[in-house]
Amino acid sequence: MIIPLTAYLIVGAVLFAIGIYAVLAQRSAVMILMGIEVLLNAIGLNLIAFWRFVRPDDYSAQIFTILIVTIGAVEMAVGLAIMLLLYRNRQTVQVDAYEELHG
Amino acid sequence: MGVVLQMPVVLAALLGGALLTLLLERTLLQRTQTEPGPAAAVDYRHAVDPPNADRWLYPAGPVLALLGVALATVVIPFGPNLIGEDLGIGVFYFIVVVDFVVLGIALGGWGANTPDAVEACYRIVAQLVAYVIPLGLALVGAIMMAESLSTVAIVEAQTGLWYIVLQPIGFVLYLITGLMQAYRAPFLEPFAASIQQGVLHTSGGWQAMAWRLALSGVLFVVAAMGAVLFLGGWQGPLLPGPVWMLLKTYGLMALMLWLGTRVRLRSTAQMLALSWKVLIPVGLVNVLIVGMLILLGVGTA
Amino acid sequence: MILGPVAQIVAFSLCALIAIAGALGMATTMSMFRSGIFLMASFIGVAGLFILLSADLLGLLQVMMYIGGMLVMILFMVLFSHDPGGAMMAGMQLPIIEKFFSLGLLPREQKQDEHDQNEQSGHGGNGHQPMEQNGQDDHAGHADHGDQDAEQNGHDEHAGQNGHGGHEDHEHMDMSMTTPIKKPAAVLAVLVGVILVGLLLLRPAWPIVAATPNPNSAEMVGHLLMGKYMLAFEGAGLLILIGIFGAVFLARAGHFPDERGREARVAVDAQPTAPEAPALQPVADADPPDAAELVGVTEIQTRRNLEKDGRGEQ
Repeated sequence: MIIPLTAYLIVGAVLFAIGIYAVLAQRSAVMILMGIEVLLNAIGLNLIAFWRFVRPDDYSAQIFTILIVTIGAVEMAVGLAIMLLLYRNRQTVQVDAYEELHG
Repeated sequence: MGVVLQMPVVLAALLGGALLTLLLERTLLQRTQTEPGPAAAVDYRHAVDPPNADRWLYPAGPVLALLGVALATVVIPFGPNLIGEDLGIGVFYFIVVVDFVVLGIALGGWGANTPDAVEACYRIVAQLVAYVIPLGLALVGAIMMAESLSTVAIVEAQTGLWYIVLQPIGFVLYLITGLMQAYRAPFLEPFAASIQQGVLHTSGGWQAMAWRLALSGVLFVVAAMGAVLFLGGWQGPLLPGPVWMLLKTYGLMALMLWLGTRVRLRSTAQMLALSWKVLIPVGLVNVLIVGMLILLGVGTA
Repeated sequence: MILGPVAQIVAFSLCALIAIAGALGMATTMSMFRSGIFLMASFIGVAGLFILLSADLLGLLQVMMYIGGMLVMILFMVLFSHDPGGAMMAGMQLPIIEKFFSLGLLPREQKQDEHDQNEQSGHGGNGHQPMEQNGQDDHAGHADHGDQDAEQNGHDEHAGQNGHGGHEDHEHMDMSMTTPIKKPAAVLAVLVGVILVGLLLLRPAWPIVAATPNPNSAEMVGHLLMGKYMLAFEGAGLLILIGIFGAVFLARAGHFPDERGREARVAVDAQPTAPEAPALQPVADADPPDAAELVGVTEIQTRRNLEKDGRGEQ
């Protein structure tokens, strides 16, 4: 293993930062979902990097990452269904068109 | 690094396989006079230059499709020790990399930015949703019995009896989903004549050549994987292994293509209905039956 | 997979580059379709990193999940919002990153002309016929006719936030995909990134174990899933089931009465202009759209018929 652990973690951190930008700055709900996927992915990368370097004998980290991927997929499906509903209702999925939803 | 040495061999196998596939397909099409679909004639000489193309995604399409097929060829064993790389998770890897062909067609279709090509992009995505789960269920049966995801191990597990005998339902399921995965009749909606063969119409020159190779190659790898999973791969009496493997591959391919021309063409919506209402329940039943067979001690070493 | 040291460094740099450039492209490109594809590239890069970390099963799982998932997601996205911006936005004054990731979106010649025409033809053509937005004026015009009702319905909302009257603020890009807080968001993201990376570099190293994991990770993961984590596995299965139910239930047609715009489009659908090839059964043949996918297919059919109309007129 010639690549140090920190290199993987830095990639994860940069992905996380980009994900935060996408979630905050994008206007369409679909793009926000994509940003969330990037965040989840960064977390998965960190988990696997730690697994490989710190506890390679315990495969629980991989199970955890599989669960993250699963939950990401379910979140995407339900999110898209909600968006379909919103779109039918108001013809747009841009989040700032739903201002009246706040408290 | 053996990979560098193996790459030309794998590419040569793919090239030869795809050419033979094209030959077989053309012959069959001439006899049956059906819609050519992905085997339609393309223009190799003139590069097509769609004016509104997305100039990153449009050339990426054929490259990705070809990459997917070439990667899939790596895990197909053509004989004992005649395999690109015997991966421990070979069959799973195969399913994954063949998806790149779908991605390539979607990219090429959207990137070309003509109504027909974009239509092909939509259709191919819907087709992916239709075939991917029943295909997985068809493969699960063979994997369960061989107790391994490695293609070599699956072939060796069929020394006594081919899985086509033990899992006829799985084999039929693989025939249908394999046709869907290879976009051949009756599931050639993304390459239908009504949209001028989709992406094929909007590509020329090297791109047309890459599409031709990728689309023939995908049928080749699908048939080869079918031979590995259900027909015992390279195993057979008298003749050497590679000959048996090629015979089985092209026999299976001819069977699939011929059966495909026997039935009416299906639209994408019908494909989805067929998949979710018939194929997935049948696939689950197949898994159940295979599980019972394994419990009874049939087919396991 | 065992790689030599040089190959490891090359593979790591390549995968990390794809992962980061893909994510960056996702967040900044001017075409929604492209951002989906960039996100997929990012996932594939991360999958490559997984494989380098000898979690090959997980890497392949990730590729499979996200090629299928993302393609469907992009399809939905395009159906909802019709690739906003797209070629039109790419011609504008953009910050350098966004410019780079939007290269090659513009039609080859007549850049300026097309741009102006699109602005003039209103967003009817742009909004509902993304393919034709780059030219083919008759198509765009036709789309306007067909979708007029839809436009009138959805228009009021659109016009406000979409800033389609935004000829004047091109440089703020308020007409496209980002919210006005783009700048603070970028600052915050850079800050988070710098802090995280800084902490990583300053922190004392973790205790690293030299052991290599079992190469047959599929078997290990399988045993854990069927043994120790059985409950979590079943829970995830239940979650997926509930997710499917929820998605189908929410997306079921007929929850909301169809508004006039949809009826108008269905009316466009109903006029057959081009003779249908025998291969293409009208979608009415199929079953009612009781699943999310079928709804998507209905939409595709609608699109195709619109495009057919367009071709018929040409």
